[in-house]
Amino acid sequence: MSRVSSKLASAVKCSDTFNADACMHCGVCTAVCPMGIEMLPRKLFRYVQVGLEDKVRENISTIYQCLLCGMCAENCPAEVNIADNVRFLRKYINENEFNLS
Amino acid sequence: MAIGRKIGVFICHCGGNISDYVDVKAVAEAVANEPGVVVSKNHMFTCSDAAQQEMIDDIQGLELDGLVIASCSPKLHMFTFRDMAERGGINKYQYVHVNLREQCSWAHTNDKTGATEKGIALVRAGIAKASLSVPLTALRVDTIPKVLVIGAGISGLRGALALSDMGLSVFIAEKEKDAGGTVKNWGRMAPDDQHGSEIVKNLLDEVKRRDNIMLYTDAEMIAKSGYIGDFKVTLRVGEHDSVELQVGAMLIATGFDSYEPQQGEFGYGLDGVVTLPQFRDFADQQDGELTYNGKPVKNVAFVYCVGSRQKKTEACPEPNQYCSRYCCNAGTHMAVCLEDRPGDLNQYHLYRDIRTYGHNETIYEEARTRGAVFMRYQDTEAPTVADTADGLVVTVKDQLMGGEEVEIQADLVVLITGMVPKKNETLMNLLKLPVSKDGFLNELHIKLRPVETVIDGVFLAGSAQSPKTMAESVGASLAAVSKAGGLLMKGFVDLEPLIARVDTDKCLWCDECLKACPYGAIEKIHHGEKEVAFVVKSLCKGEGACVPICPHDALDVEGYTDQQITAMIDACSKEVVPA
Ligand SMILES: Cc1cc2nc3c(=O)[nH]c(=O)nc-3n(C[C@H](O)[C@H](O)[C@H](O)COP(=O)(O)OP(=O)(O)OC[C@H]3O[C@@H](n4cnc5c(N)ncnc54)[C@H](O)[C@@H]3O)c2cc1C
Ligand code: SF4
Ligand code: SF4
Ligand code: SF4
Ligand code: SF4
Repeated sequence: MSRVSSKLASAVKCSDTFNADACMHCGVCTAVCPMGIEMLPRKLFRYVQVGLEDKVRENISTIYQCLLCGMCAENCPAEVNIADNVRFLRKYINENEFNLS
Repeated sequence: MAIGRKIGVFICHCGGNISDYVDVKAVAEAVANEPGVVVSKNHMFTCSDAAQQEMIDDIQGLELDGLVIASCSPKLHMFTFRDMAERGGINKYQYVHVNLREQCSWAHTNDKTGATEKGIALVRAGIAKASLSVPLTALRVDTIPKVLVIGAGISGLRGALALSDMGLSVFIAEKEKDAGGTVKNWGRMAPDDQHGSEIVKNLLDEVKRRDNIMLYTDAEMIAKSGYIGDFKVTLRVGEHDSVELQVGAMLIATGFDSYEPQQGEFGYGLDGVVTLPQFRDFADQQDGELTYNGKPVKNVAFVYCVGSRQKKTEACPEPNQYCSRYCCNAGTHMAVCLEDRPGDLNQYHLYRDIRTYGHNETIYEEARTRGAVFMRYQDTEAPTVADTADGLVVTVKDQLMGGEEVEIQADLVVLITGMVPKKNETLMNLLKLPVSKDGFLNELHIKLRPVETVIDGVFLAGSAQSPKTMAESVGASLAAVSKAGGLLMKGFVDLEPLIARVDTDKCLWCDECLKACPYGAIEKIHHGEKEVAFVVKSLCKGEGACVPICPHDALDVEGYTDQQITAMIDACSKEVVPA
């Protein structure tokens, strides 16, 4: 059980970068990921979209494993800009978890 | 019994539809010597122009006074052959239709001998009926060129204007003190964002400009009599007044009620849990940031399908199984309206399926791309709403996370309630309109006669008939207008004469038939010394509920008299019980 965080939800909404709304959960991104990151990106993006901050926190190491190689985005049939979404997430974590700005 | 009758019998092959399974020549031969029959023939296609002309020639050449055609279902060609009989010069009610296709050849494709025997029996019965037929004349009643519209929502108001355009006089009776119906105080409506209040105001302004429309508010029908073309209606107006009206037709534009959730259903009853209509009542009056009880609203959760698409359970013994149609459109559109407001509001839409058909799909897309979060729940695992120390908390299992449980702290929970049938006891008792399984007013045919009712001259206009959006409601209302207009512009209406008649010698007025008649067509009258039953011709439907009830055998339905039915049974069973 996890609770929606207004802060993350609002940050996602205000962001021009993050957009996972078109994702149809096909799983292509997971299949082509050279890092074999199982949960990236579709499930993670769902957590982010809904605003589950604690889920994001639990997956910080995964988020930083991503190579930003763009294989996923290249192959995504819904044209979700996956690498940009990961960048947004790293920025959010840097600011809110690591207090970097 | 058939002394002096001249009956023609015509038996159809229907290509091979009948003749492949019934020996139609044998049938024609077998009945050729039935009493009264002067000609018995086959045609390849009875309904063809050539065959019809040949039959007309026989009617005239042989001076027929009775006609039996054994062909397809009467639903297909009864009216074709009635018209043909009239063109030939005999009364169309002296023509008898025998269904040899749906009820014989198609039903017995594996037994030609049996089917042929049955065919002979059916045609004999038809002949027996024709030999007792008498000429009947349709009942012509003049129509009053005025219409009563009940209900002044958008359906009623738009319908009234269209009737007025046709030059018909219109009375509108609205139960509430203010006309306009459900949307009268609301703002932006899907799909085109025109305000409900503005649409209603424009309609009302136009209604007031029309000389031939009279709008009564705080008004309700309290008495009704008469029939198609000539109804007499009494309206209560205000506390003390009443008016008597005479109209030729009625439009029922009484709309719907919104589903009222039970206490505790999705937290209903808790402070901050409201229905969509309640939400619109306050939210549409606010400009700027959304507030509830004076406090800004940051998080809103919408729950879809409340009171619609229910399954039968112990807690819900009489489920509303239907989809209310309007609500996915209204919910997604409200999402866009909220995104347009200032302030950083987060909104969560918990749905079962999204049904934004037609161009409402683009509204759904806009809602999603602008940041409203849509979360699908399964009906077996519906979201729950709890009042906690942190305020309202909605718990939902998100399908896209594989059913993981998510908690949403919400300042406001909006239940997207469905449409339910309007509670209207007085009106329903007066009109005796049947309702569908869902409880909405029932149309005569779901596809082909969607606005007519079993009461001739009474038409369904809008969401009173089933859940509808505004565009659909107005479309249905205008369909009802065209039916009412078509009826009244002609000035008269011909009614089927196949109705009940009373034998005043036998009747002793026991009132049994009055109680049995579902259409209120029986009245008591004085006849010489005694009281007898009287059939109001324009109300009687001829379905015969009264006939078997009468303890004195005083009733008959024209075209289906006891004598005719008995003769048909005798004819059918000729081989079994020799005369
Ligand atoms: C919350 C909500 C949001 C909606 N949003 C949208 C939207 O965005 N877009 C859209 O297209 N549709 C929307 N709808 C649907 C829309 O409200 C209906 O389609 C529309 O109101 C139907 O109009 P109507 O005239 O048939 O019924 P109503 O508006 O219900 O009007 C019926 C009228 O008849 C009167 N009446 C009832 N019984 C009697 C009686 N016995 N005697 C006299 N008068 C009587 C009532 O008082 C009422 O004035 C929404 C509905 C709801 C509940
Ligand atoms: S490939 Fe694109 S659409 Fe498919 S799951 Fe990944 S992000 Fe979603
Ligand atoms: S009358 Fe009916 S049964 Fe005969 S040919 Fe026409 S359609 Fe077929
Ligand atoms: S329109 Fe949508 S919310 Fe309304 S009953 Fe149908 S599926 Fe449910
Ligand atoms: S049931 Fe028969 S006897 Fe009784 S009132 Fe009716 S017609 Fe007359």
